Amino acid sequence: MTTTTVAVKPLAITGCGVVSPAGLGLAPLAEGLRAGHVTHADPAQDPLADYPPQPLWAVPEFSLADHLGRKGLRNVDRLTSFGLVACKLAMEEAGVVIGPADEADTGVVMATNTGSLHSCAAVARDTVVQEKPYMVHPGRFPNVVMNSCAGQIAIWNSLKGVNATLAGGQVSSLTAVRYARTAISQGRARRLLVGGVEELCPPAAWGWHLSNALIDEAPLGEGCAMFLVEDGEAVSASGRNALAELLACEVGYYRSATPSRTLAEGLTSCIERALVRSGVAPDEVDAVSLGATNHVGLERVEKRAVERVLQRPATELRIIDLLGECYSASGAMQIAVLLALWQQPAGRRRNALVTSVGDDGNVGCLVVREC
Amino acid sequence: MSSGHPRRVVITGLGAVSCIGIGVAEFTASVREGKNGAAPITGFDTAGFPHVMACEVKDFDPGQLLEKLDIELWGRSSLFAAAAARLAVRDAGIDPELLSHTRTGSIMGTTAGESKVLQEVVNQWVERGMKDVDPRLAPMAPAGQIANAASSELSLTGDSQTIPTACSAGNMALAYGYDLVRTGEADFMLAGGADAVNRSCHAGFYRLGALAEKVCRPFDINRSGILTGEGGAVLLLEPLDHAVGRGAHIYAEVLGYGVNCDAKHMINPDAASIADCIRNAHRFAGVEARQIDYICAHGTGTPTNDATEVRAAREVFGDRLPPISSVKSMIGHTMGAASAFGAIACSKALEEGFLPPTANLEELDESLGPGLDVVPGKARPATLNVVQNQGFAFGGNNVITVFGRVA
Repeated sequence: MTTTTVAVKPLAITGCGVVSPAGLGLAPLAEGLRAGHVTHADPAQDPLADYPPQPLWAVPEFSLADHLGRKGLRNVDRLTSFGLVACKLAMEEAGVVIGPADEADTGVVMATNTGSLHSCAAVARDTVVQEKPYMVHPGRFPNVVMNSCAGQIAIWNSLKGVNATLAGGQVSSLTAVRYARTAISQGRARRLLVGGVEELCPPAAWGWHLSNALIDEAPLGEGCAMFLVEDGEAVSASGRNALAELLACEVGYYRSATPSRTLAEGLTSCIERALVRSGVAPDEVDAVSLGATNHVGLERVEKRAVERVLQRPATELRIIDLLGECYSASGAMQIAVLLALWQQPAGRRRNALVTSVGDDGNVGCLVVREC
Repeated sequence: MSSGHPRRVVITGLGAVSCIGIGVAEFTASVREGKNGAAPITGFDTAGFPHVMACEVKDFDPGQLLEKLDIELWGRSSLFAAAAARLAVRDAGIDPELLSHTRTGSIMGTTAGESKVLQEVVNQWVERGMKDVDPRLAPMAPAGQIANAASSELSLTGDSQTIPTACSAGNMALAYGYDLVRTGEADFMLAGGADAVNRSCHAGFYRLGALAEKVCRPFDINRSGILTGEGGAVLLLEPLDHAVGRGAHIYAEVLGYGVNCDAKHMINPDAASIADCIRNAHRFAGVEARQIDYICAHGTGTPTNDATEVRAAREVFGDRLPPISSVKSMIGHTMGAASAFGAIACSKALEEGFLPPTANLEELDESLGPGLDVVPGKARPATLNVVQNQGFAFGGNNVITVFGRVA
């Protein structure tokens, strides 16, 4: 009874900001694509816990003060710093300065599945190890709420529009795109910073390690990719250029006793729906930006679903081989790698799929079109 | 997305798992009585904490409420969400098969996610080191599991979305679910929120000086802060036409919502921004301020919140302030579930014709100004047509939902 075959209104990306193990911005990502690898930094040692034996690809150290000035940074945690810098880069690229007239209808939609796990674990730990259980750091306590990063982005940039944080496991960044489209189409905001953020820290790394969800040699990454988006028609009507358009984004939940079968069916259905609603035929898809690389069992589910719909092998982009596993930020990184790839013109408008599948049962597919 | 006329969306099922009642009938009866659900904490060891009261759901038995989930595989917040969702579906009298065979999903708000699971991880980490933490805890910890639990319990295949926007998350979830049904992206949605009482929140609010010692007393001259609370609150959202077609009992219509962000301070609320959010909600709901018959307040019971909230209301409503009360006086601050509980109270208030009370009030704070009716003590009969439900959060996230009586 739904109208889920109705065509969607594209969202235009007018700016992109990336903080990744490759460095800051799209350029090092494009360079990594050409070279087939990027040079990774080791994470800083954590005084409270060691990391598990797994490759760790951290964001190279940068000075937050260089980007944001020295004031007001005392209680900003690392995850939030990724978000603040990615948003600043995205707005700079779009040449956007948010003035008083734009504040009310500019907002943030951030995907993150736990917020700063480092900050949460530190507070939870303090309630156990401090002399008094309430001796948690009052300035850092607000960092435990998962919307802390999105809230700080709003504060730093005076963004008074809708401010949402979305958690949906591996698929979170795609659900953020879906939320952003609804918000813009329903007049909740005119312009949104949408993307995902994830941070490498011992509790997160041990979570991956203990769950056995990834193959042993899977590198763990981190970072944030943010996209400034607006209604596509509004951008073209004003004669501005866009980097790419986000077309349909379809998601679903398929958890049952036989996950490999039903997850593949669920993802197949999402890809089919997303293509139909985007007005893109399977043979018009140039590339697939994959999300389940290195995930035990799921990598095959994803490939099978893609092949079933496209009926042919497609050019595959395995972002995880470049940046490591970025969990809820993966989808945003998968979009970013397409933008990096498309910096080399092809003489036509390319279409790509961004697919995602999580062992929690969530699946999703987004169609992206070059501008 | 449907470009045609948006559909009207109504609330046809209510599920409450609270410290003052499990199931909407018991919850509503307690709300009408102004029952205080606070008690000494038993969910964690309170040794060393100066304040030891909270609003815990002491008699929560997930095995008795749930039909499908293996309760060993899910954390407490997830179980609250799943149980409340199951209760909402039963309350709606709708065929569960219809939900699992259509585009139906669950959207759940939360503040602290699976906080009890994370605390257990941290306890084991401190005791024996990270590498010996029980591996079964890892897949239970992500916040996304909260909506997934409800989706699993009901075999739903639509959007399974957790929205961790802190203390207004229940309203944010309800608003998103409403938009998805309204635009035709979804056939039905289960929307609400869940959170569990936990050490980190208890410690953090104490350190911020925002935790009451024994009683949560919103709008009282002696109010001293929140009591942390827990539970699950879920509403079934259904297109009006479908509800009428199946002869469903309709509690209320979702008329619209307002959402904005203070963009000023992580913790302190901002009256001007809240007033903007109220105007925004009225505009999207297509109502005038003078039509609002009742405000279900965020009403945390901290000196700052209540003063700011009343000041914001005065900016919009002037001298004609509608009755305004706080459900948190009874169930504490249930965080991501709070505004979903508010929405349930509003739905029942519209249906049965009463004003939910502010419990525990001894002496109204006169500095809040004249003409303030906080419905002290117990519920009062009243004919309500349009009501609004307020949620504010760390990060400056304000969301206000507006509900109307369906004649």
